[in-house]
Amino acid sequence: MRLPLKLALKLPLKVPRLRYHDLRSKLAALYAGLFVFGFIAVAVVAQIVIDGQAQRSVTADLLSSGTIYDRLWAMREQSLVGSADVLAHDFGFRSAVGSGDRATIESALTSLKARANVPIAAVVGLDGRVVGADGALGARIAALPFALAEGRRSAVITLGPDTYRLVESPVLAPTEIGWVVFAVRLDAAEMQALSKLSAIPLVADVVQRDARGHWYASDGSLAPGAAIDDLVARSQSHRVLTTLNLPSGKAFALARPLEGPRGAPEAALLLRYPTALALAPYRPIQFGIFAAGLMVLLLVVLGSLRLAGSIARPIAALQRAAQALEEGTRTEVAACGTDEIGQLAESFNRMSAGIIDREHRIAHLAFHDSLTDLPNRAFFRESLDEKVLRQARSGEPVGVLCLDLDGFKGINDTMGHPVGDALLRRVGQLLCALAPDGLVARLGGDEFAIILAEGFDDDRPRALAQAILDAVINPINVDEHFIPIGVSLGIAIGPHDGHNADQLLKNADLALYRAKQDGRGLFRFFEPSLDQAARTRRQLELDLRSALRSGQFSLAYQPIYDLNAERIGCFEALLRWEHPTRGNVPPIEFISVAEDTGMIIAIGEWVLHEACRQAMSWPDHVRIAVNVSPLQFRNLSFAAVVMQALAQSGLAPQRLEIEITESVFLDGEGPVVALLHQLRAIGVRIALDDFGTGYSSLSYLRSFPFDKLKIDKSFVDTVTSDTCTAAIISSIVDLAKALKMETTAEGVEDSEQLDQLRGQGCSSIQGFLISRPVGSVAAGRLVRLHEDRSALA
Amino acid sequence: MRIPHIAALALAAAAWPTICAAAPVSIQVSGADGRPLAGAVVTLAVPGAPPAEPHGSYVMAQHDIAFEPRILIVPVGASVSFPNRDQVRHHVYSFSPAKKFELKLYGFDVTKSVVFDKAGVAALGCNIHDTMTGFVYVTASAYAAISDASGRVSFSGVPAGRATLTLWHPSIRAPGNTMSQTAAIPTAGLATSMAAGR
Repeated sequence: MRLPLKLALKLPLKVPRLRYHDLRSKLAALYAGLFVFGFIAVAVVAQIVIDGQAQRSVTADLLSSGTIYDRLWAMREQSLVGSADVLAHDFGFRSAVGSGDRATIESALTSLKARANVPIAAVVGLDGRVVGADGALGARIAALPFALAEGRRSAVITLGPDTYRLVESPVLAPTEIGWVVFAVRLDAAEMQALSKLSAIPLVADVVQRDARGHWYASDGSLAPGAAIDDLVARSQSHRVLTTLNLPSGKAFALARPLEGPRGAPEAALLLRYPTALALAPYRPIQFGIFAAGLMVLLLVVLGSLRLAGSIARPIAALQRAAQALEEGTRTEVAACGTDEIGQLAESFNRMSAGIIDREHRIAHLAFHDSLTDLPNRAFFRESLDEKVLRQARSGEPVGVLCLDLDGFKGINDTMGHPVGDALLRRVGQLLCALAPDGLVARLGGDEFAIILAEGFDDDRPRALAQAILDAVINPINVDEHFIPIGVSLGIAIGPHDGHNADQLLKNADLALYRAKQDGRGLFRFFEPSLDQAARTRRQLELDLRSALRSGQFSLAYQPIYDLNAERIGCFEALLRWEHPTRGNVPPIEFISVAEDTGMIIAIGEWVLHEACRQAMSWPDHVRIAVNVSPLQFRNLSFAAVVMQALAQSGLAPQRLEIEITESVFLDGEGPVVALLHQLRAIGVRIALDDFGTGYSSLSYLRSFPFDKLKIDKSFVDTVTSDTCTAAIISSIVDLAKALKMETTAEGVEDSEQLDQLRGQGCSSIQGFLISRPVGSVAAGRLVRLHEDRSALA
Repeated sequence: MRIPHIAALALAAAAWPTICAAAPVSIQVSGADGRPLAGAVVTLAVPGAPPAEPHGSYVMAQHDIAFEPRILIVPVGASVSFPNRDQVRHHVYSFSPAKKFELKLYGFDVTKSVVFDKAGVAALGCNIHDTMTGFVYVTASAYAAISDASGRVSFSGVPAGRATLTLWHPSIRAPGNTMSQTAAIPTAGLATSMAAGR
């Protein structure tokens, strides 16, 4: 019972240090721990009860044994006394003692020793002389009759390591004439003989005092000790039972001091009963409690594991499901029962479904365009990446078609965003229908893109592009609006046109750009030269930005000769760019770039200011003509810019002529016309440039009363050689005159042309015949020169 | 028998005039426990005093399974008769050095005599009846007496001078169960006490 008690003391110390990572072990340990505590309490109580019971039982046994021992001791004494008395009363013996017949006495003693089984028998005379014993024992025997108190017949003495019981019997003749004394050594055999007579297996020892007064057993079975001293001392007055801790184990013990000749004990009888023996009858009970405890502990552990399992299993399943959910996998937990865990599982399933739904929705939103429900740019990029990677392994080509709608902004502006949105949706549907083998995405605005990757044949990209173009030949019906749209397409095929998604997309874009440059409404395949052009263009863009800041721009002025007044009536301001490394860059190269980047706004503003400022140095009849890009015109504050330039320079508005091309009307007529009227209201003149090329729609002439039409150089070139051209010019001039507009013929190079044009009634001419474009200083000189010449004429 | 006795005393007085004056001596005897001791024999040995002579008959009867008297003081040389006055048999013996004898008195009123020719105490017992104890106190002194119930012993006419007092009692654990002391007996007499120490 000691072992579990130690375990119990150790367990609670260890438990808090343990860390259980699963609920099952935690619960099992808790229940097992509680049980162990309970069991230990029961075991401790049982042990206490058993100890108490054993103690009581053994006490009773031992006390009764002590009483029996006393009786045995007394019986032995009586037996010895009886033997001694028999001798002492023997008439012949008394006669021998009375007459001091030593020989007779000795022979009588010898025969008695054999008869009474007494080892030592002696006779002490009244004079203290001893017959039958000698030495130290003889001396102690001689002293005995004189030391014993009245009525006592025996005493226990110690002699060295030996202990003797002495019994005397007086020899009466009839008064005391001596004493018969028997001496019995209390040795192991004597003690065993006593032990055998006891009801319980007692161990009887004779203890005596050592030199320092401590009690011990001379045979070495009991070492001196305070416990024994105490026991013997307390046993003098009454019977005491105590527990001794001996090397051989614990023992219940009681002592019986043995009276010495003068009363004080020289020896004591120690009866002990080993505790182990005393507790032996309770062993089966203890074992039974322990075994039952172990068995129940096992059952508790198994039971709590099972119980914990039934709780923990669904929780573990929930935990795994939650983990799976965290990793993005849709999981369901089997709902078991209607208890809290079952309800939790159901809640979890609902939550899981909700999360997955929302996740799908978010993912869809993240990767789809909300307007057309087509994949968006991000999705497109990812798909393209993936396709390109797969292509790198399989070697199959990947085709990218980029397309946008021509003039979509105009549609949005004129018909409203709802219609624009509907159009985009319609186009998306159209593209999906045309390219079931491809991934159609809306990249943003009016930009769409298609990926072809599923093993298409070489002609498929071209065929698809053509099919798209064919599909939009007719106006598209959007909410009962029939909208004509144009589509431009750029195509790039990997891996030839690009090894990664970025490159493919960029090259398809370049091809698209080219398609637009080439006139819209068509498709272009990517070519490496496009890439080179794009590089050049990018450099140009960068250079352009610094050009305006560092004053690389200048204006050249080409005179326009007034045929009626026979003098220079106007200069057309022409932009010149002196590139620090490339030298003079022709406007045809950089104007489109400036327009595409929006820098044309700032450049145009600068031109306007510079031209007005320069015109102030000329005579008042000389006007300045400034070309304005459609992009500038789209800016509604353009009128303010013009007024600012006029105000800053102080130039009269009538001296400023704004030249526009019919392309300003492409994005819609209304706003442009309104702006033109604003300018006209200021007093600024408006000229229509490049008349005769492009559509040259006469409807424009009706929508705004231009001040001048500028007849394109291509007509002037052949005016002398081609009668047809001459007739056209003649018609234009007549038309202008009818509409009260002036006309300027551009690119006049010889006098023949001049004569022809003059003859046809052209108001003014412009060209190398008069002068190449010149600098501002030369322009001033030129005015004066011509004035002088006309004055001369 | 009485006359020579008196004459002897007169002779003695005439021979030692200094001790002629006779004085009374009384002795109080107490036991070891300090209480008066009855049945103790006190003898006074006076140097030069004539020894006691046997006269008359001395009887130590056995009656009612006891010796009667318990203590019998006799002079040296006295013959003591041992009549059996019981209906039972007695076997009287003495192992004492003063006188060893054995009398098998197997009949009613059987009388046997023993002569005690040596001073000393003969302890008498009966081999049949252990309880029977008797003593024959054989002394040469004329001054010997048994203490009465109050432990007193008195002598008269003791010559003054130095004397040896001897106390005998069976309970005295000393050789011969006796204790002795010397005392100066003044002419005016002496009253002293003796304690029977063990």
